[in-house]
Amino acid sequence: MSTDTAIAGPADQTDANRSRRIFLGIIIVATLAFPLLQVFFGGFSYWLHMALFLYMNIAIASSWNIIGGFAGYISLGHNVFFAIGGYSAAILFAYFGVSPFIAFPLCGLISMGFGFIIGMMTLRTRGPTFIISTIALVLLAKILLDNWDYIGGSNGISLPLLDMPVEYVKLPFYYAMLAIAAGSVFLGYSVRRWKFGLGLRAISQDETKAEVAGIPTRFYKTLAFALSGLFIGMAGALWGYYLTYLSPAIFLTILVGAKFVLMTILGGRGTISGPIVGAIIFISANEFFVAQFGATELNIVATGVLLLLVLMFFPEGIVGTLKRNGKLPAILDWD
Amino acid sequence: MTQAIQILIIGLTLGGVFALMASGLTLIFGVMGIVNLAHAAFMVAAAFISFFAYKGLGLDPIASIVLTMPVMFVVGLVVYRLFFARSIDDPKKRSVLVLVTFAMALVIEGTLGFFFSNIYRSTNPPYAYDAFLMGPFYLPKGQFYATLMSALILGALWAMLRFTRLGYAIRATTHNRTAAEVVGVNVDRVSMFVFGIGMALAGASGSMISFLFSFYPGKHWEWVAILLSLVVLGGMGSLLGALIGALSLSVISAFVNSAYGPTWSPVTFYLALFAILLIRPQGLLGKKPEL
Amino acid sequence: MPHLVVKDVVAGYGSGPDILTGLSLDVEEGKSYCIVGPNGAGKSTLLKAICGLVNIRNGTIDFEGETLLGLRADQVLQRGICFVPQDRSLFPDMTVRENLRMGGYILKDRNEVERRIDEVFEMFPILKERASQHAKTMSGGQQQQLLLGRALVLRPKVVMLDEPSLGLAPKVSKQIFDSMNQLKDAGITIIVVEQNARMGLGYCDWGCVLDLGKLVFEGASRTVLDDPRMAELYLGTRRTGSEK
Ligand SMILES: Nc1ncnc2c1ncn2[C@@H]1O[C@H](COP(=O)(O)OP(=O)(O)OP(=O)(O)O)[C@@H](O)[C@H]1O
Ligand SMILES: [Mg+2]
Repeated sequence: MSTDTAIAGPADQTDANRSRRIFLGIIIVATLAFPLLQVFFGGFSYWLHMALFLYMNIAIASSWNIIGGFAGYISLGHNVFFAIGGYSAAILFAYFGVSPFIAFPLCGLISMGFGFIIGMMTLRTRGPTFIISTIALVLLAKILLDNWDYIGGSNGISLPLLDMPVEYVKLPFYYAMLAIAAGSVFLGYSVRRWKFGLGLRAISQDETKAEVAGIPTRFYKTLAFALSGLFIGMAGALWGYYLTYLSPAIFLTILVGAKFVLMTILGGRGTISGPIVGAIIFISANEFFVAQFGATELNIVATGVLLLLVLMFFPEGIVGTLKRNGKLPAILDWD
Repeated sequence: MTQAIQILIIGLTLGGVFALMASGLTLIFGVMGIVNLAHAAFMVAAAFISFFAYKGLGLDPIASIVLTMPVMFVVGLVVYRLFFARSIDDPKKRSVLVLVTFAMALVIEGTLGFFFSNIYRSTNPPYAYDAFLMGPFYLPKGQFYATLMSALILGALWAMLRFTRLGYAIRATTHNRTAAEVVGVNVDRVSMFVFGIGMALAGASGSMISFLFSFYPGKHWEWVAILLSLVVLGGMGSLLGALIGALSLSVISAFVNSAYGPTWSPVTFYLALFAILLIRPQGLLGKKPEL
Repeated sequence: MPHLVVKDVVAGYGSGPDILTGLSLDVEEGKSYCIVGPNGAGKSTLLKAICGLVNIRNGTIDFEGETLLGLRADQVLQRGICFVPQDRSLFPDMTVRENLRMGGYILKDRNEVERRIDEVFEMFPILKERASQHAKTMSGGQQQQLLLGRALVLRPKVVMLDEPSLGLAPKVSKQIFDSMNQLKDAGITIIVVEQNARMGLGYCDWGCVLDLGKLVFEGASRTVLDDPRMAELYLGTRRTGSEK
């Protein structure tokens, strides 16, 4: 088998490249054109909602992957970035009248800035202390926001609806989330190919050796942590506006952060397509569970059980496992 | 001044219980290198056992450790065999074990929430509402008994570690896993027992919190974050460090509580965690991080 | 008569590559063996394989006519084979006496352990002086003596030492090797891995040269030292294709 592929190698390579390019083209056209269905026929509101929700989660999973996948530092508190993005957009909108559609890149940068500061503190150590600090971060952020009256405290803050005909109101969100998802995936793809990405992977394998090899490990980790907050912050900015209501209970429960982790690990952390596959499967399953059981308690159980099963049986996730067995379709192999 | 002493009394007596809660966590980390994020979830599960034993059988919550400790011990052995035994020596799998404990915490939380719903509960033995009066000071009886019991259990744990064969094996494995293996310690068996003992300690803690605090399934995240903070402060894996961390942070948080109200007392722990990360990442008594 | 027989052993870590690639070695009772070879040759792995710390994928290891395969580290210890690893595997926060007690961990009789600790103290008086001091506060040479003493608590038939002289001054290394020879005179078989081939071979009866997971050649210490293949291995003139 190995000789076969070795001989067929170059041809296969171009084949794979062509099929990847065609696949990518189809995806781009399809996602851009999809809302036309709503414009011309109507009745696709639910599907638009699902699609933009999916894009958001792709953005989140791909971002989490930078620190949790490439660098191997598991963060259970990335929903803090989600909240920072959401609340900074809400403040800019409610108090300064800046639409989140204009402000969202800034909100992403704000959350990235917070990421840098937090990372400088929590990434001073190796190993388990970081994970602990991410849990503490969520709980701390929740207490702070619950008691910050300026933004409504635990009652939350309401935002006005986007002023558009109701059948079109989802379209701007759709395209914005699509752009965010594309940006996030592209960032992951680039990081993976930069020297920086190589350094992160060295860190995840053996941090001591990476350091000895001259990689500025602390700076790299911190930068990875901050970068992974960028697009999550943007997603949060628009998500709050989309819901027209933000409260700490929506953004800052452990369950929210747990789902970020689950999606990425399910798909395959450390890969490019893994977070996308993970998000698609997870969102479909989640929709099924919510429709089926409704209750948040069972949602928590399902999240936990799924995570357990993945960790015990496919710790490398779907894409990682397929890749190791040589069964990964070329269109999913972007690494 | 009187008030300060009063707060100190409250803080110290609560600190004893926090030390009990943290002991299992730090013991397991020391031997296996795993942060058990489900520790407080198991505590809450044990609190439910105490709760129903109290409501159903009239069993006193402190006495109910005769139920919670053995039950949780066995649960610990089973959990270790199912989830940890095969992964612990494989560096690749080892790195995801902390996520396994995270997932377990979610499963326990969701299951308890589903069956018993997320309402506040607590056992209410008469001493939970009573206090000893000593001049200008008062000492809540519930806290006093709980701390006494915690001290007893921690004392027994200390003696076990100090004087028994298993204790030697546990300490040896904590200090140097390969060295322990080389002198013939069966580290797999030791790890299993330690997980069981850690869970039994979580069980005892659950019985204590069943009357000290009101609890509900989702509450465990707050507790586990508090416990982890004080364990990090003391130095991961160090029992004495956990004790020092528990007493000091508990006293500080008691002062914060009286000055700013109960909302902000958990914040003390989280801020202490971030502060210690800045100043001395390995904790007060922790080993220096490699390199 | 060989009492420890290693035959065609293939071994490696986890699911990684084979580190030992078909290694055979006969060890005779009461003699001392020095194992030399370049870094990464598999010297430490060989010792770990003998004492049950590495999975053996193929081949056999017999001791006194019975196989050691499938035994856990503590069971190999029961048979009388002790191992002193390369990385100063002490219990840093335990006292010297407690460390020695840990050496007798597999013995059930505590009084017996205390008696044997006294014997060790006779051999290494410095340990008695420092009995209640924490192991981490001892110097490198003292730590090495403690490690040796800890292995002796079991009154082993075979003692395996992995680079005992690592990081020690020549004079201190000499002391360690002298104590080692004392053990040999008491009838204990010694297997020692040593980077400083000249010194190691000088103290031992027999030399074994390892490279790439195999025994390349062996012989009486003196002949090994003077063998031209040694220079090849150590000076890096090998693997240029000239070997064929
Ligand atoms: N715990 C381990 N896990 C995986 N591989 C290992 C482990 N220990 C050693 N190896 C690998 O096994 C090979 C041989 O290592 P070993 O320690 O046996 O060499 P050595 O001859 O003792 O070298 P040195 O003189 O440097 O001590 C090396 O390539 C090393 O990378
Ligand atoms: Mg070696």
